[in-house]
Amino acid sequence: MKLTALRLHNVKRFAGRGVAIEGIGDGVNVLTAANEHGKSTCFEALHALFFHPHTGTASGVQMLRPYSGGSPLVEADISTASGRYRLTKQYYSGKRASVVDLETSRLIAQADEAEAFIGELIRGGTAGPAGLLWVRQGLTGIEKRSKSEEEGDKRVRESLLTSVQGEVEALTGGRRMAEVIAACEEELNRLVTATGRPKTGGPYQAALEAQQRLTEQAHILGAEVTALREALDRRRQTLVRLAELDNAEEAAQRQQAISAAEDAFEAAKSHSDALKAAEAEAALASNRHTAAADALSAYRAAQQRAAELEGQLAQAMTQRDAATERRAAALADSERASAAVAAAELAEQETRDLLTRLDAALAARAAAEQVRDMRTRLEQAEAARQQVEDGDAALALLTLPANAVEQLQALEIDLVRLRAAQAATLPTLRMDYADGKSGTVSIADDTVADGEDRGFAGSVRLDIAGVGTLTLRSNRPPQADQAIETTERKHKEMLASLGVNSLDAARQKQSQAQATTRERDLAVQRLGDLAPKGIQHVRDEVARLDSISAGALELKADPEQVRTSLATATAEVASSRNAVREIQPRRAQADQALVEAQTSHATIDATLKGLDATLGPIASRGEREAQLRAALDQQQAALDAATARLAPLRSAAHDLASAEATLRRTRSVDSAANQEAAQLRVVLAELNGQIRTQSDEAVEEAWLEARDALAAASERVQRFETEVAVLDRLRKTLVAARSAASDLYLKPVITELLPLIGLLFDDISITFDENTLLPQSVRRKGQDEDVDRLSGGMREQLSILTRLAFGRLLARDGRPAPVILDDALVYSDDDRIERMFDALHRQSRDQQIVVFSCRQRAFAKLGGNILQMTDWTPSAS
Amino acid sequence: MFRFIHSSDLHIGKRFGNMAEDLRGRLREARHSALTRLAAQARAQGAETILLAGDTFDTETPTPAMLRQALAEMGHHAPIHWVILPGNHDSLLADELWNAARSASPANVTLATTATPLELAPGVVVLPAPCTTRRPGRDLSDWMDGAATLEGTIRIGLAHGAIQDFSEDAAASDVIAPNRAARAGLDYLALGDWHGQVSVNERTRYSGTPEPDRFKHDTPGQALAVSIAGAGALPDIRPVETGSFVWSTLPLDLLSGQDGATDFTISLPTGTARRQTLLRVVASGRTRLASRMALASAIREAEPDFAHLELDETDLATDCEASDLDQIDRAGALREAAQALLEQSEDASQSSAERLIAREALVRLFSYCETIEA
Repeated sequence: MKLTALRLHNVKRFAGRGVAIEGIGDGVNVLTAANEHGKSTCFEALHALFFHPHTGTASGVQMLRPYSGGSPLVEADISTASGRYRLTKQYYSGKRASVVDLETSRLIAQADEAEAFIGELIRGGTAGPAGLLWVRQGLTGIEKRSKSEEEGDKRVRESLLTSVQGEVEALTGGRRMAEVIAACEEELNRLVTATGRPKTGGPYQAALEAQQRLTEQAHILGAEVTALREALDRRRQTLVRLAELDNAEEAAQRQQAISAAEDAFEAAKSHSDALKAAEAEAALASNRHTAAADALSAYRAAQQRAAELEGQLAQAMTQRDAATERRAAALADSERASAAVAAAELAEQETRDLLTRLDAALAARAAAEQVRDMRTRLEQAEAARQQVEDGDAALALLTLPANAVEQLQALEIDLVRLRAAQAATLPTLRMDYADGKSGTVSIADDTVADGEDRGFAGSVRLDIAGVGTLTLRSNRPPQADQAIETTERKHKEMLASLGVNSLDAARQKQSQAQATTRERDLAVQRLGDLAPKGIQHVRDEVARLDSISAGALELKADPEQVRTSLATATAEVASSRNAVREIQPRRAQADQALVEAQTSHATIDATLKGLDATLGPIASRGEREAQLRAALDQQQAALDAATARLAPLRSAAHDLASAEATLRRTRSVDSAANQEAAQLRVVLAELNGQIRTQSDEAVEEAWLEARDALAAASERVQRFETEVAVLDRLRKTLVAARSAASDLYLKPVITELLPLIGLLFDDISITFDENTLLPQSVRRKGQDEDVDRLSGGMREQLSILTRLAFGRLLARDGRPAPVILDDALVYSDDDRIERMFDALHRQSRDQQIVVFSCRQRAFAKLGGNILQMTDWTPSAS
Repeated sequence: MFRFIHSSDLHIGKRFGNMAEDLRGRLREARHSALTRLAAQARAQGAETILLAGDTFDTETPTPAMLRQALAEMGHHAPIHWVILPGNHDSLLADELWNAARSASPANVTLATTATPLELAPGVVVLPAPCTTRRPGRDLSDWMDGAATLEGTIRIGLAHGAIQDFSEDAAASDVIAPNRAARAGLDYLALGDWHGQVSVNERTRYSGTPEPDRFKHDTPGQALAVSIAGAGALPDIRPVETGSFVWSTLPLDLLSGQDGATDFTISLPTGTARRQTLLRVVASGRTRLASRMALASAIREAEPDFAHLELDETDLATDCEASDLDQIDRAGALREAAQALLEQSEDASQSSAERLIAREALVRLFSYCETIEA
């Protein structure tokens, strides 16, 4: 939206006349005029047109009215993206509002519709900042403020960026929002904690506790009521039962039943005794009858048996005699066979002895021949052994240690080498005799030969015949011959140890030893051939053979013949033994048969004798049987009689057990009734006590009361729950709306604001709180400054810049809105004002700015579109 | 001519646990003092008999003091003859109660605890049908049909329970046949149980309670004064006032824009009657935010005058228009919040509880803004 013209009539100082500001253009528009010229009136009228309904009489409207009264008329031409319009409002009498489309001169809205049209222009949605952005001497001009507040503001205008704050408040609800939230939270905090739990000591918690308490109480009382009702029911049942029990008629019936049962029992008992006696009698008779019958039948059986046994006894005797005979025959056969065996065995033994002797004689003969050979061999073996022993003895002397000859030889070679070396170093002497004087010189009687070189060691005395003794001394060191001496000593020791006097002798001895060894080895071999198991074995063999051959060597019979007779005798023995074996079973059988026959006979005989004792003498047997039969008949009669007596008793059955049971039952019924009655009286007493206590306490009333109270308490809790939910919802919604507003506007505004500040204050940097849009810190020349110390000029400049930033934001949203400044730069020095003008011009590229000012000179530098106030008379309409 | 007072459902001893503590005692006392008022009406109507058709006592086990004082009060009004019938609250199961009553009964009190004819006066017989249990499961008045009385005797039935409602519900077997009076040749059938007065037919009445104990019936406490000229004559029945407290429901059907607070104030009883009044205001219809708050505040204002005053606004819808929201704020975050709450309260996709909460939150916001603005 852009303003293009403003006209007002009968407003404030313009009582009864009108004034118009036409030709308001894009960019910066400036209206400068001295004070009391009506600038502020224009400003206020414009504000009223946009913010006060034509029907209103708010202070903002009252303010417009001239002292003389009348109806203020305000008119503004605007252009928007959708067209150009004229807005007109008249207040008080003849109040009206209208919107006319300037293109068509058509009235498009009146009254409330016109208000709605205007509202739409400035509001552009409830969440955004107002469509017009006002700055008036540090005040926003939008908010209503009390007189005192305004004065206070004037006095402490520097206290804070009040105007900016106002704009922020318009967005975020500001102070009111804060107060509403605080009020909401206060109520909420009375009920719940920060985490939404009922607050201890709060009414919500109290209601919950009351509910809890009443629930428990109602529960307890309910249980008591139930108990009481049960007790009442039980008492009622008890009383009914007691009445039944105490009923005299029923008691009499019970007594009657008992005596009837007693009579029945007595009758049954006596009958039972009689029955028992009769039964015993019958049983006795029956026993006696059985005994008699048994005796008779036993007697008859014995008679029969005796007759049978007598027959058997004769047969047994015959069998026994036959068996005796068979056994005698078998015994004779057996004896004969045994004699034959003995004879055969004797003959066989004799033949076997003869054969043994013959064999011994043959062996002795063979041994005698062997012993001769064996003796010859023994002699040869002993000779060989002698030879070995001699060889061994010789070898002991001849054998030299291994390598001894080689060592000796090495020593000798060493010795020759050493001697030759010595001879080479020894001083020598040679005597070359003068003619004729040969042999005159001797050494220790040994004549020195002519021209002979003689070496010497140490000193040598030359006996020179006729001359004297010449002593030569070589003065060799004493150890010079030590090696030779040592070697010689070793040589000598070696010879001594070998038992020879020269190397040759040692060699000879060695060869002798080898020859002797060979001879001995031959002898050993021979000894092994002759006596492979040693000479002692040969010797033992000779002794053994000698002993064998020492026996009788005479042969008196033919061994072959004897051997044949032995075989015959052996066969005879075997056959006779078989004969004995054949006979033996027969004999055992005969023995057994005899035993059996005898046993059988004896058994029968004994049985027969026993029976005879039972039966008695044969003559009286018939009589005895007749007696027994008579006794049986007698017992039969007694039994019949007893049985006849028992039968009627049995048929008249009296059940003693059930009679007794009936008696017991009837008695127990009575005693149970008495017991139950006594018990019930105890129960009744208890119940009476219980019921009285509880009904005196009126538990039922208390229970109903508690239930009602619980319902009321639950309702109260419910109300608190709803209350908490409502407050919580309200608080959340408010907080969300506030933070949404600040997210939506405040942050972008700061983004817009910062470059503008850079434009104005090159030496100052300011940071803003994103939630309140208030300056947070100020840094001037690298020093942090107290925000409260911002100068008045800076405050108003910041205020304007903030508006401009809002303006930019709106323009960017496609809702451009004019920024209107009324004496907004009264505190700023000229330098700042010029910078401010630059900022305004820069901003005005896409923003309409209308400036009202009394500082004509200073604002002459602002440039821009200069506006003029002209007289105006509204067209009569 | 035989005159008597027919009453029932005194519920002596009822404690009113759901009421404020200080009111409970008064309500309880009012139930006891109903006896006095009944006796006064009997004297005023020239009646010598008061028939109490059941539920004289609220529970089966009243405190001995409660019972004795009630009986003593009855005795105090001799020669007026009281006939007490056991109802479902004080049925014959309450043998403790009836035993105690029997031993403490003054001479002018008859306990109608058996279903046998009871001669009230020469030629006047009452046929009581005492409740045997809390739910007898049969029509106890059945026996009256066959109860023989001398020719020319005035027969008065006395019973307690619901009357047949012709439902097919099997549980309806214990309801009293509504034509019992005709069937049993009764000149009058005095019924108890229903707390409001009901005329079943020309010879059958529910007397209602002499002292109301709930909002349900919305009638003052009354008894019936009955006169019977003779056997077979139609009874003359007139209600008589016996109530001490008034339990009243005030319906307030509002239209949007209507000033509910004023309507409410106009409808209220005046003066000292308020102290004896328990009032439930049931608001319904639609109201604007401001008038709704005005109503709530008027209720709060009037509340201390009354024994009890409550507002039921369950069925009261709140209208909210742009101008209402303007009073919260014309723009900015507060307006946004109000708008959001309004939308939530009208959002049909939300549960009704959620909508209610949103609406209440909006009302609350409105009230906060009003206070802060002021």
